[in-house]
Amino acid sequence: MSKKHILHGFLVAAFLVLLFGVGLSQPILDIVQGERPQVLEVFSAPPTEKNLRAYEKEMEDTSTIVQTVRPYMQYAHFLGLKDLGKDVLAGRDGWYFYKPDVQFLIEPWSGQEQVLAAIRAFHDTLAAQGIQLLVVPAPGKPSIYPEKFSARVQPGHGAVSRHSREMLARLVEAGVDCVDLFTLFEQNSATTSLYLKQDTHWSPEGMRLAAQEVAADLQRRGWVTKGAVKYMFKPVTIERHGDVLRMARSPQILAAIPPESTTCKQVVREDTGQPYEDSADSDVLVLGDSFLRIYERDEPHAAGFTAHLAQQLGMPLTTIINDGGASTLVRQELSRKPQLLQNKKVVVWEFVERDLRFGTEGWQVVPL
Amino acid sequence: MGRALNWRTLRVALLCLGIGVFASCSKGPASDVDDKVTTLGDTEVTAQLEEIKGEFADQTNYDYAFVMKYKVLKVHRGKLDTDTIYVGHYNPLTPRATVADERVKDVGGTLKKFRVGDIHRMALAAPMDDFFMGGIINRYFDEYKGPVYWAHWTNPGVKP
Repeated sequence: MSKKHILHGFLVAAFLVLLFGVGLSQPILDIVQGERPQVLEVFSAPPTEKNLRAYEKEMEDTSTIVQTVRPYMQYAHFLGLKDLGKDVLAGRDGWYFYKPDVQFLIEPWSGQEQVLAAIRAFHDTLAAQGIQLLVVPAPGKPSIYPEKFSARVQPGHGAVSRHSREMLARLVEAGVDCVDLFTLFEQNSATTSLYLKQDTHWSPEGMRLAAQEVAADLQRRGWVTKGAVKYMFKPVTIERHGDVLRMARSPQILAAIPPESTTCKQVVREDTGQPYEDSADSDVLVLGDSFLRIYERDEPHAAGFTAHLAQQLGMPLTTIINDGGASTLVRQELSRKPQLLQNKKVVVWEFVERDLRFGTEGWQVVPL
Repeated sequence: MGRALNWRTLRVALLCLGIGVFASCSKGPASDVDDKVTTLGDTEVTAQLEEIKGEFADQTNYDYAFVMKYKVLKVHRGKLDTDTIYVGHYNPLTPRATVADERVKDVGGTLKKFRVGDIHRMALAAPMDDFFMGGIINRYFDEYKGPVYWAHWTNPGVKP
């Protein structure tokens, strides 16, 4: 057999392995593991486009070979193309962005009426019980630092969060009280790094700026009188890879990029020395998403938005925190726990701006 | 001769594969009982997954629980007043064996995938809010106001 034939044979074999290797190996692996071969599930539902797409996606997600190879392929993509997968966009100077954050800014969106209806209904329900509502949309990272995403955005670029600003204006027009963190953050973004480079969330400085503004707003409106509980700060430094990097689902990428070091201020009670804790009896209920969870329920704990808002207000707060669920899920949880509204004077409702469009389960009107 | 042998080998291999597939399809799980499903939570049932309402949220950056509707076939432990229950499963797209994480430690099992019609043996506790502090996608929210169970442990089950 000539070298030419051997080469042809090798190429044909390699091509066939590429074409059929994954498809044929998975049923064998399933059988070896005592499972029903997943390939047979294609016969378990009518062969509609939707079912076939779902089947295809499931095969991709659960294939042993794909699961094994994908992190390495993702790493190769990252090295060669700076590509971090479908949810992540690599920015400049080591900044990484969550794709839906960017999509929300640059794509058309037409869901304003549904959002408005849900927020107004919540506002009116609370008002009927004598409870004030303060809405606090949290700016997404690319809203404040678009120049870290693209070199084509120049410093002094002006507002890029058009949808959110329009929504803020419509809410105010509808009689809903809001805090405008967009303007505040834009004014401070050059002097302080308000967001984490590797994460979707605000930095400790950005979080604290927001907490100070919300506390000041509540007191300016006369809705909350400063309490008597004294808190002090305890600096804690943490090192972590941000959630955006972890979305790439490649340990090799995480190993190649050093974690981000962050110094937080943990809130500690002066009288007991114990880290801040919520209280169900507070006058103030805070609803929100992972922007409230970071530093608070994650390490170092008691160093997040609610702890700092409590420190500013001199009182512990009641909270419902729900990752990605501040649009509807937090209100559903409140509906299941009506006792949390007892004795409340104010509800502070934070949600990240992209959830105006992408919030889990949309913006439903939730009866309380 | 060589070609005939190859074809014979191929046919035998395909036959073996077919028998393997058939045998695998026809056999149920080796056992639906382990020390976790019999001890975690306060209720243990064998139940048929009756409905998964809508599609699971495919979110890479959020952990959540998804509420599913079950028809109870047998109560092994605890007490139930109804044969229809609503159960929240943590990150339902993840096999139960690897679903536990830093924030939610007390979940697991041997079930790999949720499929309507399948039978599960589960260790449960209610109300779910007492056991899971996170996003709960409950598409029965408007129609059902009773307790929702938290699935601590989920194994493939066998019909009692």
